[in-house]
Amino acid sequence: MKEKIKIFLDSDLLEKYLLGTTNQQESLQVERYLAMYPEVRETYNELQDNLEIFAKLHAVKTPEGLKNKIMARIKSENSSRRKFFRYAMAASFAAVMFAGASYFLWNQNQNLQEENVLVNNKIETLKEDMRLELEDVRNQFIVLNNPLTKKYNVKGNKNAKELKAVAYINPVKKLSYINVKKLPHLSKNQSFQMWAEVNGKMINLGIIDESAGQEKLLALPYADNAVSYITIEPKGGNNTPTVENIVAKINY
Amino acid sequence: MSVLLEKHIVELLQERDEKAISLLYEHYGDTLYGVAKKVVRDEELAQDVLQESFVKIWKKSDSYDASKAKLFTWLFRITRNTAIDKLRSVNTKSDKEIQMDVSDVYNLGVDSIKPEFMDVRENLDKIEDKYQIVLEALFFQGMTQQEASDELGIPLGTIKSRLKIGLRELKKIYGPSMMLALLLNLL
Repeated sequence: MKEKIKIFLDSDLLEKYLLGTTNQQESLQVERYLAMYPEVRETYNELQDNLEIFAKLHAVKTPEGLKNKIMARIKSENSSRRKFFRYAMAASFAAVMFAGASYFLWNQNQNLQEENVLVNNKIETLKEDMRLELEDVRNQFIVLNNPLTKKYNVKGNKNAKELKAVAYINPVKKLSYINVKKLPHLSKNQSFQMWAEVNGKMINLGIIDESAGQEKLLALPYADNAVSYITIEPKGGNNTPTVENIVAKINY
Repeated sequence: MSVLLEKHIVELLQERDEKAISLLYEHYGDTLYGVAKKVVRDEELAQDVLQESFVKIWKKSDSYDASKAKLFTWLFRITRNTAIDKLRSVNTKSDKEIQMDVSDVYNLGVDSIKPEFMDVRENLDKIEDKYQIVLEALFFQGMTQQEASDELGIPLGTIKSRLKIGLRELKKIYGPSMMLALLLNLL
């Protein structure tokens, strides 16, 4: 062990370390020796003392004003550091604000896009509705104006004597409409429902809305020798017509 | 320097108090200026070196580790390395080969002999030249022992022994007077 220390002290590693010229690996080695061996530590401290003494021997009076220059440099160094921190603070604040604003705008954009899709869909639906409505009106016009159109007066049977309706059938254009003029008053939990028997199949044509305008024409599915019925059904309509409740029958 | 004062300065440095630099300058300015001058051998350059060194000392103050080196050792390293870097950059600028001018080592800085340092000079003269040359080459000229051996034409073993003896001589001469200086510092 002694030998190892002697070899170490004989090398100039400690002197190099003293002057700060060792590389990282050498520094680690020196520091290990310093930590482990009091002799090495003692030698190192002696070297440090000697260095200070030797350096002091060469002291030279510093020129006037140099201290002030140095203190001014230190001050500006400090203020630039402080300035840097101030800028850094401002920059981070700005970054946070920007991120916040971006998120807010992105969110708003997202909402607007969703709304846009909704509005577009609505417009499409409206267009489709309009088109259907227009077609319906056109068909009504064709039916009503066509000389081949036959007009049938429909009257209610004994169950609904007040019921009056007019059906327009055009066998050439294969269009048929019914205009329910008058409906007898029903109790609150009942409603009139229209049916059509086409090619042996019973089709639900829907509930006749009493409050709807009396001039409204309802389209009927056309078929040769079709039969339409109006029945009284429970409120909200039924899946199949109740035969005993038939109040009117239209053959066309 | 008193241990207490050194501790105080280190504390101020760690608190990043500018007073630390002022105190360091008061107590080590002349010595570090002497070191810088010894290395760059030019007053103006030495002043630049001292300025840059103090800025480095200030910037690196949180890296100082009292368990690894005494305060002066740390200050010396920074100043010496700054001076050597300066010398290299000046030499590179003037397209000269990086070469340590050994001849100057022999004149022992005549320019720094001033009345206030005369007693120091006298004491320095008590160390034999052959030891001083080795000490200066190693401490100030930035030479490794091998480089000093090559430059001075002295075998490596002799360099090593002269370094050891030179340092011991130094201790012998300055030990007591330094103690006195320390006492005076305390008063």
